[in-house]
Amino acid sequence: MQEEQIRARIKEFTRFPPQGKINIVQDTSQFMQIGVDDVMELEGEHYLVRGEEVEGRFGLDGEPKFWVKKAIDLRDGSAKVIKLEFYETFVMRIGDHEIKCFRSPKKESRILDKVRGDLRFMQGFTARDGAGNAVRILDKIQGRRFWDIINDLSGLDHKTYFERHFPGIFRNILICVEAIGALHEMGELHGDIRNDHIFIEHGTGAYRWIDFDYTYDWAESPFGVDLFGLGNVLLFTVGGGFHSIKDLSSCGPEGMRVASCVTPDDLSLFFKHRISNLKKLFTYIPESLNNVLLRFSHGAEVFYESSDELLEDLHGCLKDLPDIAPEENGAVVN
Amino acid sequence: MTVKMLVSIDLSENSLRAVDYVGAMLACHSDAEVTLLHVIKEPSPDILLDDAERHEQVEKLRVEMLALMEEAAKRLTSRGIVEKRVCLKIQACKSPVSVAELILAEQELGGYGTIVVGRRGMSKKEEFLFGSVSSKVVREARHCAVWVVE
Repeated sequence: MQEEQIRARIKEFTRFPPQGKINIVQDTSQFMQIGVDDVMELEGEHYLVRGEEVEGRFGLDGEPKFWVKKAIDLRDGSAKVIKLEFYETFVMRIGDHEIKCFRSPKKESRILDKVRGDLRFMQGFTARDGAGNAVRILDKIQGRRFWDIINDLSGLDHKTYFERHFPGIFRNILICVEAIGALHEMGELHGDIRNDHIFIEHGTGAYRWIDFDYTYDWAESPFGVDLFGLGNVLLFTVGGGFHSIKDLSSCGPEGMRVASCVTPDDLSLFFKHRISNLKKLFTYIPESLNNVLLRFSHGAEVFYESSDELLEDLHGCLKDLPDIAPEENGAVVN
Repeated sequence: MTVKMLVSIDLSENSLRAVDYVGAMLACHSDAEVTLLHVIKEPSPDILLDDAERHEQVEKLRVEMLALMEEAAKRLTSRGIVEKRVCLKIQACKSPVSVAELILAEQELGGYGTIVVGRRGMSKKEEFLFGSVSSKVVREARHCAVWVVE
């Protein structure tokens, strides 16, 4: 496309087209220098940069991720997230435990190829820029993070949440766990399973995993990190948020009475104040479901070693759950 | 009946302790056959992109490991085990593998009566995240004895 054609497309798809000369970027190596209104040319296609994604961890305003650009595909005006080639090694903290973690664009590109067409995952493809960098071009999921959806429901008392919303949400989370199981079956690790890495798409209500670029050194249990993440998602889902000893103690005499019944074995294996044995707080939680949560607790003697084992237990919980409320119909209103 | 032992060793101090223990226990079985096995896990191409660098790292580990295994073999022969009955095996793996599964496969293939593994003393959290070779070997071994040396 010539610059004039690019300018015309920009005018068609944006309300505030750039006024001056358009900076067309073919080599994305210096991603810090690529900014708003620049156009990236990747394998002959053009993408208008609208800004940077931020590390929106748990609803907090985070740091901009300079290697992740918000963009518009100038072929059709669709919103994209463009991840530029960037490697880093860092230490990830899980509770008080530290793990060496690597950001691998190569891994994410491979997984995007493997999950193409599977809408339980974000979709996209890899294109090369003029310098040979592998750039991931992702379809922007219009929706909200699972973390935010559950937090929005936190105003409800737990019994109402559990009876009205949880059965539908749980079935969707089960689909998410099945998706991770499918990934493991393909020999791939998600690597960064968190409550804010599940997006719930507007309109369809589909739950979709994002961000697959973290990886780790080999371990005897190749999927341990993912299983830890799934345990955390399940605990958050069943509890309608996390519950800690501190929260209970601030709930007056009744909360303090419950807190006094919580033993160290009832707490999360990785987060020392987080309660895993939720049945002690909410007695109506079925035993089958609570037993799954206890497999991630400090008192657990045996851990899940595969997503298959976890899925088998989760499917067994379905029969013990309240029916889906008619207005819920299995999806979350968003 | 010949005593056949498979001893899994890594670069840890604990591994040499396990070898010393085997030497002490077999001191009166000079006809025992001992295989020392080590598995080298090639770095993932997702982490170390360059083929040559990965290969170099594997070769460096192989040299380091061979020196340690020779030292371990000496410790066994000094206890009276016949030198030609001590075998050294290094397996290099390109894709993610379970070391425990490799040990168990080797045990079955070689008809070893005993597997010896060291235990590193992992915390519960580490065992959850990374898995434990010794726990898996103990749990899944069939038709053989397992010694776990701490």
